[in-house]
Amino acid sequence: MFSVFGIPDPQIWIGYGLSIGLALACVLYGLLNWNGGGEERGS
Amino acid sequence: MAEEKSVAVDTLTMAAIVLVYVAITIFLGWLGYKRTKHAEDYLVAGRCSHPVIIALSYGATFISTSAIVGFGGMAANLGMGLIWLTVFNIGIGILLAFVLFGKKTREIGLRTNAVTFPDLMGKIYRSPVLQYISGFIIIIGMPLYTAAILIGGARFLEPTLNIPYTTSLLIFAVIVGIYVIYGGLIAVMYTDAFQGTIMLVGMTALLILTYIAVGGITAGNTALTNMADLVPQALAAQGMTGWTTMPDLGSPIWFTLITTLVLGVGIGVLAQPQLVVRFMTAKDDKSLNRAVLVGGPFILMMTGVAFTVGAVSNVYFFQHSGQIAIEAAGGNVDLVMPVFINQAMPEIFVIVFMLTLLAAAMSTLSGLYHAMGTALICDLWGRGKKCALSLRANQIGVFVMMIASVILAFLMPGSIIARATAMFMGLCASAFLPAFAVGIYAKRPSTRAAIASMVVGSLAWFLWTAFVHAAEAKPLGICQLLFGKATLLGLPWSVIDPLVVALPLSIVTILCIQYRDSGRLHGEEPAASGGQ
Repeated sequence: MFSVFGIPDPQIWIGYGLSIGLALACVLYGLLNWNGGGEERGS
Repeated sequence: MAEEKSVAVDTLTMAAIVLVYVAITIFLGWLGYKRTKHAEDYLVAGRCSHPVIIALSYGATFISTSAIVGFGGMAANLGMGLIWLTVFNIGIGILLAFVLFGKKTREIGLRTNAVTFPDLMGKIYRSPVLQYISGFIIIIGMPLYTAAILIGGARFLEPTLNIPYTTSLLIFAVIVGIYVIYGGLIAVMYTDAFQGTIMLVGMTALLILTYIAVGGITAGNTALTNMADLVPQALAAQGMTGWTTMPDLGSPIWFTLITTLVLGVGIGVLAQPQLVVRFMTAKDDKSLNRAVLVGGPFILMMTGVAFTVGAVSNVYFFQHSGQIAIEAAGGNVDLVMPVFINQAMPEIFVIVFMLTLLAAAMSTLSGLYHAMGTALICDLWGRGKKCALSLRANQIGVFVMMIASVILAFLMPGSIIARATAMFMGLCASAFLPAFAVGIYAKRPSTRAAIASMVVGSLAWFLWTAFVHAAEAKPLGICQLLFGKATLLGLPWSVIDPLVVALPLSIVTILCIQYRDSGRLHGEEPAASGGQ
């Protein structure tokens, strides 16, 4: 039976993949927009 | 067995460490007090918080003890399917919340000088009624959640410091109350950041040590997969197929997992007043962008780890005692994580994990105290008056709501922790989410539509909770009293979470009335929303 890290159900390992992928997307978003949207206060 | 193993570290050592932790927390609270000069500091942390503090404060307030212990235990019982809640927590609770809602909220908050969530709603819609309704829902709904957090914290301190439950609850409530009352949101966010850091260290260590204890990631997961035939008969009959597989589609456990745990809690986080106000503490969008970078991985390491460790604990218990996790914890889901930590982890980690739990409880509690107290003063008692922005008045507001929550905590049953969390999140989403989303994005948001949506959402949520959803309807007993039966509808309706019914109704209501009113409002001056 095919499994990923010992997990056979794609519904579960896709969930893990998405969790990790979304966390990485957050990191990427933060890095790509590191200096975006500044200097607004008081304008 | 669970009771015998509840304290693995000697009380004196634990008490000393807890005292050091409390001393640091109080010091950070004092720093917040020193930096609080004006009402804006007390209410929205001066609108200039550091991105890392925003992210850790948001995450630590979001993740309570219930998320770690309650939902970790739930994963031990129902398996790894709960990982879909982590997908929602990060995708909706962080990415969507910060990028789509956070920036608009910050911008409108700054432009309108809104200082609380109800104040924001009132100013977006230019309607005092909206502010009153939002404040009222907070004052009514939030004490339930706060009391549940108080109970969880007190239950932790009771065996840890070897003190009576009543004393433990009072100490817990007062320590958090002191720094919230005096230091306002700056103190709340400083202490949250400290507590969030402890939580991050604790959960990272927990994940690593757990997989070491079961022989590695693949070995541990494979062992868990091979335990599928050990699923208790009662759970198997309701659709559970194993700990590394999803329940049967459409079975009662599938509905509970997806509607209550994944959707209910996953979506519910979007419109929680104590979290929305964090967006208004950011100086600019840049701060929110940077906060996303920290927030995503933080939530992954909180809920993702709790759900994984909870499920994998079955392997450890089976290898060491021949029992599955729920049996090893004496049938109590809430005891699975503490029992596992005490049995499987080195003594030093037991201390780290206990501090993690205390930090999780305190960070959530402080945010709730602040949201309730400021709602009472700014949005209900002093709405529209100068006194609403008085530091002293808001301090009194926090104090009053702290007392109310403590009284409620003594009245509520101890087993209500996880249930009250899900209920609060469901109510927030059903009542606030559509009006909040339309308010910040529509060019001319309709006040009538928002009021109708909030009333329909709250009412539908309450009716489904009291008369249909078995998990709440049975203990509440209102349906039994009025109709002589526990719930009005049978399966599958009785296992579908109130949010799944109330939120769509609330959305349809606001969209229909908004559409109808858009023609009437056309030509009028746009409201304070971001759509202009």
